[in-house]
Amino acid sequence: MHSTMFGSISFTLFPIMIFGIAFMGAFLLPLVRSSMPAGNLALIVHASFLLLGFMVGAFGLLGNEVMNRRFGQASLLAYSARSLPLSEAHIFFVFVVKDIVYYFFLWVFPFCFGYILASPFIGVPLAGSLLLLLSLTLAFLYGLCTVFFLSAIYARSRALLYLALLLLSIAWGSAVAFLSINPAYFFPPMLLFSAFSWTNLLLSIVILSALFVLAVFLFSPEQTGSIKELRNTFAPLARRLTFLPDPSLAAKDLIDLYRSGSAIGQTLFSFLIPLAVIWFFLSLLGPFLPPHGLLFLFATITGVIASTMYTWVTMFDSFGPYACLPVPVSRIISGKLMTFTLLQAVPVLFVASVGILSGETLYAIPAVVLCLAVSYYAAGIMVWLTGLSPNVLVYDVKVMAIYLVLLGVALTIFSSLAFANPLYSFASVILFVPAWLFIQKGKVRWDAVEPSGF
Amino acid sequence: MTMILQAHDLSKEYGDVKAVDHVTLGVREGSLFGLLGPNGSGKTTMIKMLTGQIRPTGGSATVLDLDVIRDPVGVREKVGIIPEQETPPSFLTAIEYLAFVGAIRKIPDLEEKADWWFDFLEFRDKKNVLCKDLSRGTRQKLMFAQAFLHEPALALIDEPLINFDPIMQDVVKEYCVEYAKKGNTIFISTHILEVAEDICSEFAILHKGKLMHTGPVAELTGRGEHLPQFFLSLVLKGNHV
Repeated sequence: MHSTMFGSISFTLFPIMIFGIAFMGAFLLPLVRSSMPAGNLALIVHASFLLLGFMVGAFGLLGNEVMNRRFGQASLLAYSARSLPLSEAHIFFVFVVKDIVYYFFLWVFPFCFGYILASPFIGVPLAGSLLLLLSLTLAFLYGLCTVFFLSAIYARSRALLYLALLLLSIAWGSAVAFLSINPAYFFPPMLLFSAFSWTNLLLSIVILSALFVLAVFLFSPEQTGSIKELRNTFAPLARRLTFLPDPSLAAKDLIDLYRSGSAIGQTLFSFLIPLAVIWFFLSLLGPFLPPHGLLFLFATITGVIASTMYTWVTMFDSFGPYACLPVPVSRIISGKLMTFTLLQAVPVLFVASVGILSGETLYAIPAVVLCLAVSYYAAGIMVWLTGLSPNVLVYDVKVMAIYLVLLGVALTIFSSLAFANPLYSFASVILFVPAWLFIQKGKVRWDAVEPSGF
Repeated sequence: MTMILQAHDLSKEYGDVKAVDHVTLGVREGSLFGLLGPNGSGKTTMIKMLTGQIRPTGGSATVLDLDVIRDPVGVREKVGIIPEQETPPSFLTAIEYLAFVGAIRKIPDLEEKADWWFDFLEFRDKKNVLCKDLSRGTRQKLMFAQAFLHEPALALIDEPLINFDPIMQDVVKEYCVEYAKKGNTIFISTHILEVAEDICSEFAILHKGKLMHTGPVAELTGRGEHLPQFFLSLVLKGNHV
């Protein structure tokens, strides 16, 4: 599907780019090791692949509806149960396996292969590189299966999910508060990487399999029999949003987000849970970061993740409803950015809470500013590069490469400034200027492109 | 009579495929114009170009004196459009979708107008149901209502009757005829030839992207010919050519 959307060459080049980044990045390892132990670096990489698993899993959850909106009557494998003699659980199982294989060859294998090929030149034994391939694959699968597991609970009972998350948080918090142990140390793939043993491997696989089997067992397909009648929310909401330049578009998007379940689902699975996990991984790096560095590194990462909220507001739309209305693409982009702005309340509250809870209340405001500046800057790049199709075009190698370079440069500059002095984070407001320029350029660019759906 | 829609040498190519191949045609104000053609003949592409949804690769077109290439949004502001695939937003209810369209088009007395359509097309009981839960026929009713909500001087409809039951087909056909009688213009694309012969005042036949014929229906029936036979002979001849 991805190759059909933006050409087989661009698609084929994507894993090659990942390979190239890993291969060249590996040569920087000797430099990084001088300031940070290899174990901590491995921790970051494992956390990144765990996060990737989370993100892929969260998209997979919503893929059904997303594809239906994008392609109208075209249907996914997920719909086959209605026309073929296959059970929903079987299709769900195939769906998960397909996702695993697909993303393994798109992301995990190219990354590890790059590292494996570079390992003889940087003095890393081949066995260590192969172990990394195994443990990163497991880290990715943990992210994926955890989201599928939690979403299977979520589909059955939201209350049950909240209870499960609450219990998990209490257990995690207790371990940190009373035993002074960071549970991230016990992340099975990380344990395996730091001390390979067959027992650790078995433990990793057993826990993973349990998550997977439970997810398939708990999976309950969407019930299509009930048709609900809902009261008219659009008109009152649009009236309440008259302070915005285009209240009708914002009202439609907010209703879409709420009724599709993605406002809660995405906030949980694509934002709060991944970031909570990342926080625990990053907190292990505390000793190797400058004072207050952890909060600002976390604010930067939250900013990047918060920018993906732009994909939340574009993923459910097809061009159909707009094609017959006098609405140019630039106006829809503005509408989506309005909704995006309203959603930024989530990262603002999140970073502020983390700042306060970690005892750095004084720096909560500069951290929030840094987070918002990064988020808008990254969203601006997305608008310019992908218009209304960020979910799709992100796998175009050219788009991804430009995005990474533009974002990487800004992140390096502003996280370094924040590390040097937390108050320098305020300098990141300058990022709103290129963000605005990217958005303006994006509007002109995508108005000129024939809209074929997004 | 004034021409409300004019296409000159209009073309659309997708790589090597010529979806619409140098088509020149005009539609008179107050007419009910039928664009006929087999599947894949370029009818939908033609409607999309004339409503500024896609850009032609060659030629020009004006709709209500607006250039479809230079001012596609202006064209969509004035006309009503019913696309081939009915795609109202999934998570709005029927009434909310009409309210959304009304807000975008700045239509006064929207609730009153929406209520009239719910009654006229007999789907009041579905007004609070999410669009994704509506049947295809009801979605088509909703799309029909949104296209005429602002009472456009020109409505372009791609396959107007395809999802309607025979009773609703009659209601809609009658509405189109009456709407045109009031001086408005309706441009429909269809491959249901009997419908075209029944309600259209003028027609054009498109085949493999090329315009095969255009003229009044009365001219044809005056010669004792019927549209379906004429269409078949022309298209079959086109296939042999």
